[in-house]
Amino acid sequence: MASPVCIMENITKSFHVGDQDLQVLKGINLTIEQGEFTAIMGTSGSGKSTLMNLMGCLDVPTSGRFILAGRDVTQLNDDELSELRNEHIGFVFQSFYLLPYATVLENVLVPTLYREKKKDRVRDRAVELLTLVGLEERIKFRPTQLSGGEQQRVAICRALINDPELLLADEPTGQLDSRTAEEIMNVLTRANERGKTVVVITHDADIAAYARRIIQIRDGIISE
Amino acid sequence: MERFTLLLIQSFEAVKAFKLRTFFCLVSVALGIAAITIIVAATEGAYKKAFDIVASFGPDSVMVMSGSDEARAIGQREKTITLDDVEATRQAFPTAYIVIPTTWAGSVNVSYKGNRYQTQIVGSSSDYSQAWTWPVVEGSDFTDEDIRRYANVGIMGQEVARELFGDQSPVGKFVQVRNLPVQIVGVLSERGTSPGGSSLDNRIVMPYTTVMKKLQNESRYVVGMRLRFTDLENVDGRVEELKRLLRYRHRIPDGQPEDFRIFTPKDIVKFLVALTGSLVVFIGIVGVISLIVAGFVLANLFLLSVKERVKEIGVRRAVGARKKDILMQFLTEAVMITTAGGVVGFILGVISAQLLTYVAEFPVYFSWKAFAIGLVLSWVVGVGFGLHPARQAANLEPIEAIRT
Repeated sequence: MASPVCIMENITKSFHVGDQDLQVLKGINLTIEQGEFTAIMGTSGSGKSTLMNLMGCLDVPTSGRFILAGRDVTQLNDDELSELRNEHIGFVFQSFYLLPYATVLENVLVPTLYREKKKDRVRDRAVELLTLVGLEERIKFRPTQLSGGEQQRVAICRALINDPELLLADEPTGQLDSRTAEEIMNVLTRANERGKTVVVITHDADIAAYARRIIQIRDGIISE
Repeated sequence: MERFTLLLIQSFEAVKAFKLRTFFCLVSVALGIAAITIIVAATEGAYKKAFDIVASFGPDSVMVMSGSDEARAIGQREKTITLDDVEATRQAFPTAYIVIPTTWAGSVNVSYKGNRYQTQIVGSSSDYSQAWTWPVVEGSDFTDEDIRRYANVGIMGQEVARELFGDQSPVGKFVQVRNLPVQIVGVLSERGTSPGGSSLDNRIVMPYTTVMKKLQNESRYVVGMRLRFTDLENVDGRVEELKRLLRYRHRIPDGQPEDFRIFTPKDIVKFLVALTGSLVVFIGIVGVISLIVAGFVLANLFLLSVKERVKEIGVRRAVGARKKDILMQFLTEAVMITTAGGVVGFILGVISAQLLTYVAEFPVYFSWKAFAIGLVLSWVVGVGFGLHPARQAANLEPIEAIRT
């Protein structure tokens, strides 16, 4: 059996607010196996964004042990963290965050720009991914010419282009109507069915229902 | 390689997308580079012209002129060099293969069959053409015999020849110089203008004996003399010796200024470079200031741009861009814009330099050097002033950047 994608042991995270330390995460223990589809649910202020930033290696914990894709994240410097994100994590954001001046295809290719281990035919792979989500006719378009659902599908292709182990989606349907949200969740489900580990952070129970495992976070503590 | 291409493509897309930023940076860089281009071209032009003149003047040549610097400065033309000085110099310098007296009269009326013109009459010995490396293209030089006989003969510059004779050949014809009928025996080649801007082709060269006796009523003094030395490498030393000889002959006590002036090819270069120099300094200051202003325009617009593109930077960091990748991206955009500014500036510089030569006689010369200097300076501005905003972008915290 393959090793877990993500192991968190007794993770805490504190922020300085004024003169005092504010502990946002208070000892998180969490293991995510390969191929899981997990939803992390919580209200705003629960610490779910902080957890998502840690899991995405955008930030480092104050204490605890954190292994991602076999690497001890707490031992890595800024460049190594960037490399880890590049190879092992795909991000999907609530507001899509596509480059407005680049085409759909160029947007999907952005992560390949920073990839150390060169891969052949990234362009073909980008077109292939865009075809899978039904955007093969739109590769020369700019993001502003697309609907919200289409933009999010482009963002998912961007998240998948470097073939990461972990697909991390932060409120991926937060700015979409319920029908489009369903489409996006179906795309994520299909990615999971093809073997990707998917973690969705949401406050919406309907969205969380797509996941096979649901984790609640409240006041910096998780419960299943 | 593919990654580098992708970086260039994306930077180019950004340069295209942020049009106002690109436009203002490009224009301000272009103006600075245009000024720099003109300077380089003017400097090169001045040197090239100076060396052309030295080549025609003769690098082995020395010209001695009558009169102190002070007298010349207030427009007095005192004659202090005598024919005896010329003869003594000839005796004293065995390596001087040419020593000739020169005298002249300006603004002399000459005419041929009703065509009138004002020209300069130059008196010289028979080796004028050789002394000035100035070929006679038609007919021939006058002879030593002409010198001895005070002959009424002359060789003509192209301009006066054109004015008096049109398409006809002047050789063998007689022109009136004041009241003196003078037979033209040769025509000099086209020479152009002097560094001071006057035409060199408007002159008639005659035996100095004839000019002195029949036009100037003068028996001793000439305007100057011209020497050429075979030992080119010793010219500086020879000039010093010549100075001492003439001071002695003119009985000038130590510490007193000379009543003559010796010109060498070096003086010509100095004169021309000084002439161009003031303009170069002026445009140079303008150019450097406008490049610095361009740099600040760029730095400010890029800082604004970084603020505007916080989300983009955050996403790039999230998908794996290292700090140096972000730094490179913004520097690439900056250098791309300034390079375009450099090219546009060079073209602007070429156009305005053409206008400059049109308005004023001003030597400009464009070479790859002007282009290369402009290009390198535009890169310096791009990297130098783009670095601060690029660092700001690179040091953004990714979680701050993508906070919704």
